[in-house]
Amino acid sequence: MAPTATSTEWDHEYHTLRRENLFRNPPKDHTAYPALQAAVDPHIESFDRLFRDDGKPGLLAHGLADIGTKIYLDGDERAGPEGKNRIGIRIKDVNLQRAQVPPSNKQAKNREIFPAECRERHVTYRGKLSATFEYRLNGGDPVEFTRELGQVPIMLKSNKCHLQNNSPELLVKRKEESEELGGYFIVNGIEKIIRLLQLNKRNFPMAINRPSFQNRGPGYTPYGIILRSVRPDETSQTNVLHYLNDGNMTFRFSWRKNEYLIPVMMILKALVETNDREIFEGLVGPAGSKSAENTFLTDRVELLLRTYKSYGLYTKHETRAYLGEKFRIVLGVPDTMSNYEVGTEFLRRIVLVHLGNIDVTPAQDADKYKLILFMIRKLYALVAGDCAVDNPDAVQHQEVLLGGFLYGQILKERLDEFLGVGVRASVRDWVRRHPGVPFTSDDFRKDFPGNIFRKANENIGHSLEYFLSTGNLQSPSGLDLQQTAGFTVVAEKLNFLRFISHFRMIHRGAFFAQLKTTTVRKLLPESWGFLCPVHTPDGAPCGLLNHMAHKCKIMTDSIDVSAIPALAAELGVSEISCASTEDSVAVVLDGKVLGFCSPKESLRIADCFRYWKVEGTHGVPLQLEIGYVPPSRGGSYPGIYLTSTPARFVRPVKYLPLQKEDYVGPYEQPYMSIAVVPEEVESGRSTHVEFDPTDMLSILANMTPFSNFNQSPRNMYQCQMGKQTMGTPGAAIRHRTDNKSYRLQTGQTPIVRAPLHNTYGFDNYPNGFNAVVAVISYTGYDMDDAMILNKSAHERGFGHGTIYKTKKISLKDDSRTKASKSVTKAFGFAPHSFVSASYQGMLDDDGLPHIGRMVQEGDVICAWHTVTPDYNGNLVNLDGITHYEKYKDGETGFVEEVRLIGAETGNEPLQTISMKLRVPRSPIIGDKFSSRHGQKGVCSQKWPAIDMPFSESGMQPDIIINPHAFPSRMTIGMFVESLAGKAGALHGLAQDATPFKFTEENTAAEYFGHQLMKAGYNYHGNEPMYSGITGEELGADIYIGLVYYQRLRHMVNDKYQVRTTGPIVPTTGQPIKGRKRGGGIRVGEMERDALLAHGTAFLLQDRLLNCSDYAKSWICRRCGSFLSVQPTVSQFAPGKKKAPSIVRCRNCAVKLDDSEGIDLTEVQGEIWEDGQGNQWVGGDQTTQVVVPGALKYLDVELAAMGVKLKYRVDRGDEPRKGPMRPASAPAIPVA
Amino acid sequence: MSREGYQVPTASAGSGAVARGSTGMQDTRSSIMSYLCGDCGGSVHLGKDSTVACPHCAGRVLYKERTKRMVQFEAR
Repeated sequence: MAPTATSTEWDHEYHTLRRENLFRNPPKDHTAYPALQAAVDPHIESFDRLFRDDGKPGLLAHGLADIGTKIYLDGDERAGPEGKNRIGIRIKDVNLQRAQVPPSNKQAKNREIFPAECRERHVTYRGKLSATFEYRLNGGDPVEFTRELGQVPIMLKSNKCHLQNNSPELLVKRKEESEELGGYFIVNGIEKIIRLLQLNKRNFPMAINRPSFQNRGPGYTPYGIILRSVRPDETSQTNVLHYLNDGNMTFRFSWRKNEYLIPVMMILKALVETNDREIFEGLVGPAGSKSAENTFLTDRVELLLRTYKSYGLYTKHETRAYLGEKFRIVLGVPDTMSNYEVGTEFLRRIVLVHLGNIDVTPAQDADKYKLILFMIRKLYALVAGDCAVDNPDAVQHQEVLLGGFLYGQILKERLDEFLGVGVRASVRDWVRRHPGVPFTSDDFRKDFPGNIFRKANENIGHSLEYFLSTGNLQSPSGLDLQQTAGFTVVAEKLNFLRFISHFRMIHRGAFFAQLKTTTVRKLLPESWGFLCPVHTPDGAPCGLLNHMAHKCKIMTDSIDVSAIPALAAELGVSEISCASTEDSVAVVLDGKVLGFCSPKESLRIADCFRYWKVEGTHGVPLQLEIGYVPPSRGGSYPGIYLTSTPARFVRPVKYLPLQKEDYVGPYEQPYMSIAVVPEEVESGRSTHVEFDPTDMLSILANMTPFSNFNQSPRNMYQCQMGKQTMGTPGAAIRHRTDNKSYRLQTGQTPIVRAPLHNTYGFDNYPNGFNAVVAVISYTGYDMDDAMILNKSAHERGFGHGTIYKTKKISLKDDSRTKASKSVTKAFGFAPHSFVSASYQGMLDDDGLPHIGRMVQEGDVICAWHTVTPDYNGNLVNLDGITHYEKYKDGETGFVEEVRLIGAETGNEPLQTISMKLRVPRSPIIGDKFSSRHGQKGVCSQKWPAIDMPFSESGMQPDIIINPHAFPSRMTIGMFVESLAGKAGALHGLAQDATPFKFTEENTAAEYFGHQLMKAGYNYHGNEPMYSGITGEELGADIYIGLVYYQRLRHMVNDKYQVRTTGPIVPTTGQPIKGRKRGGGIRVGEMERDALLAHGTAFLLQDRLLNCSDYAKSWICRRCGSFLSVQPTVSQFAPGKKKAPSIVRCRNCAVKLDDSEGIDLTEVQGEIWEDGQGNQWVGGDQTTQVVVPGALKYLDVELAAMGVKLKYRVDRGDEPRKGPMRPASAPAIPVA
Repeated sequence: MSREGYQVPTASAGSGAVARGSTGMQDTRSSIMSYLCGDCGGSVHLGKDSTVACPHCAGRVLYKERTKRMVQFEAR
């Protein structure tokens, strides 16, 4: 009997045995949680499209066709192309291998490198990239050769990964999670994902009113049409039409980060052989149509045609040659091309590339022509006020930049640069070195391709690794993107919720983060069902960093729409049109104008398509987006906009006429009537109904129980805190080497949860614990969001957690130069070296710590010594010195694992170890906890169980929180959860906590209240309780129940910062900054103000002087200077420290040697000596004062600038007022 | 200078350590240690300077074994 397939159906029940079985016997067929995989699929599918398995050309194949053939010429650079030999070279194919051991490793039988090994070894999971080139010398026979282009990081579970389609059982065998999701890269052992970006909807002419357009030059208005045109290889080229205030239009594009403007007429005339009448009728409509009377339009079109006359270009050939001449240098085309060919190349590469990018046919040029006419029409309609602007900030006009696609774009550009710049420079260099030697010579044949290619930088893989590890885009073209940094983020596996959220995260773009306006951050109704309204961070990235609704999908492939044009024609779409949208509206498929029809017909056509697509007939695919924009007065430009392209959002809803699943896109949604719940369906209006109202929430927002009872910001806070919870990162912790990883030791499944909790398999990653929570103001220690923990609960392991830290210790010097490969250091004790017993006790004989050892601050964690190879290659130590690495953290840890990391080639001695330390963190006062309702609090006391209040059945709460946490925050969901949790625990039930399930008639309080009543408890969830201290009954009944609590990762042990004295900044003497280095917390201006206002002078002095840069220093009272005092030196004083040094002012003293003829016996005052042995007298009015060290520093700095500071030490030193008198040196009193 | 933090006075290294029974590392003692292969789980004996690779499967990650020494600490 064949085993039954693993069930993937889940409800809200516990399924304890089923889950245990899944854990013990990971399924051999497929995962039990397909929803989880589907959440990540857009990432993986987009990567899979680079190199396709299904025979269709992959994105890179399209890209290679766009790169085309590069031509190199020999001979003198300054001479023309005539009579030169030429090589035409193209990349025929690019191939990416799976991760493998290099061939230099002879021993390995198992050649594959699995991702787990890359994590453990802190290296990149990558495969070899190779390309097949094909070149023709002077158009002769093609010659092929293959070169290796370095190693490229591979996305996990993609079609180039060993883990693709692995069953959970196999994944576990390969040291992964049983539910490993993939979708990320491993770079230097760190998991990185390319984050999703919101971009403008492709191939759609968007009407824009942007004041900055006026900066393009005189006459420019804010009106424009932006069309982001996407090539088959997913690279894009934005084309913009600008409206000038005289009615003219220019065509703008940007190429290699420079902007160019062309009269739009020139593009039109270059695309097809046409004349002014054809253009006029194409824009306005046939002669005699109603729009011909629209003088606004006709005037402007006339001007458009008239002003173009000045160029004197009439035919297609002339225009293309003109364009070619102007853009020859910009495009970087070979000299061998004629101007006309360059003009054609220009149209191919830049103008509306989505309609024809490779081997453009005349029909495709005609499509481009028609689309430009349509764009001009829309722009005139916009200027006339007949149509509204399109909002680029609404998801309606947006799509997604998928990680795999961006990766492909970078790869394509690197390949293009390699051939077009790298190899070209290398060839030119060769030609220069060998003057007069032609390509046809044997010399050249010897060096091409081998030596010449080697000189060009062939390591393309490295640039991709750089991109992934830094997120910086280094690109000469900018890839039509608005940012150059921040494309990748670390997929932190703090807990599973955070990890999964990374894949659903979608960013608006770094550019928008700088905008002062908040319009881009607004939550728009268009986002319904695509972006979660709850799951966005508060603070700086609010509204820019969104998360997808959990049912929202991203299309990653174009769908077959070959049947659509014929169907449209059949339904009455024709070529004839006029400018008035009251008479004819356009039918556009993926930015290609199929034709026009009357507005009335357009509704019928859209409805037909809709019916067919859900029905699955007539070759209309289910995911086709049918953007029917109805005619309106000054609303969006009407028409039918069909979309079949990848990278757009879709989501499932139910189509009412057929009661079947339909996919809806963001462009069409605003014009549709989708009921949220079946009761809302309006006969004759609603066409669709949601499958579930919770479909609009993200995965995380769906995990908040009864979230519809809460005030909405609280649900946002929970989405943030769910991601900061100390939970369970996974089951394969042994094989992970995260720098820091948190783990909750006592995780439980929540009693109160939505069925989606099981659908997404979150019981595999428990994130908190069910706690008995009493809402009571008990000791005063629960004020202000503090909470009291039951000490006995804590002692039984309540909320116990662990931090795992991984330290990598490498003896290789980190310098980038790969040249120095020699081994200079080795682990272990140096032979014959002195090793203290305590150190030897801490380490094994190999110089590494033993597993299970406790490490404290200052302990040694490994030993190493220097080595040099002797005459027969053995590594010997010469100096006999053992060096040690020390454990520097203040916290006690335990050595969990020590990994010895070998080289990929398998022929290196031990150079790198990786050590995992376990730091136990039981909850202590100051640690942060939260319920799932945005109710966070800090543990303020661990209260002894005997003093805790208890109920009539003798129950004590685990946690006490203050009732004041509720009135202002209105988290009623937490009350309901408490009620439901209590009832669930009493009856042994899992409670379904899906939001929007209860109504006014059938309330949650009633439902769970009855359950409680059946269990013999109070209907309302209150219980009489007794004081644990006096034993008396408390005056009020206490609300007590079970709430799922999370322990947040913010713990005092990582945060506390305290000092009285400690390290200081040498220049000023003030405390240094930074917790890590034992610095202080700044008492800033505002804190100072507060202390001043309170009149706490001593406290102020203590903070600002005594605990800061308190400095005792000598000063001369007479000249008021710090800088002129110096200690005296007595030549008779023995030793260093003896004799309290006497300080004298050198400025006020008189040097005895200078004034000759002084009778020493007559001199009054003590004679003192400086360090040089000079003798001085006087300058003895010095005293010691306490000043801030910074003051002395200031004095020195000012002195360096020639500014003198003079200090008045007391009243007697007051400055003398009155006219200036020459300062006279004190006369030495001579008797 | 007094603010640099209190340093525990250390007995000068020469005299005290010898008394506590320190050793010079003997070269005679062969420092061959046993590890576990991360790939096949077999035990791997590595001497000084030997390359890090499992002889059975050429596994490139080796784990240290749990120590056989008595490990004892206060549980509080």
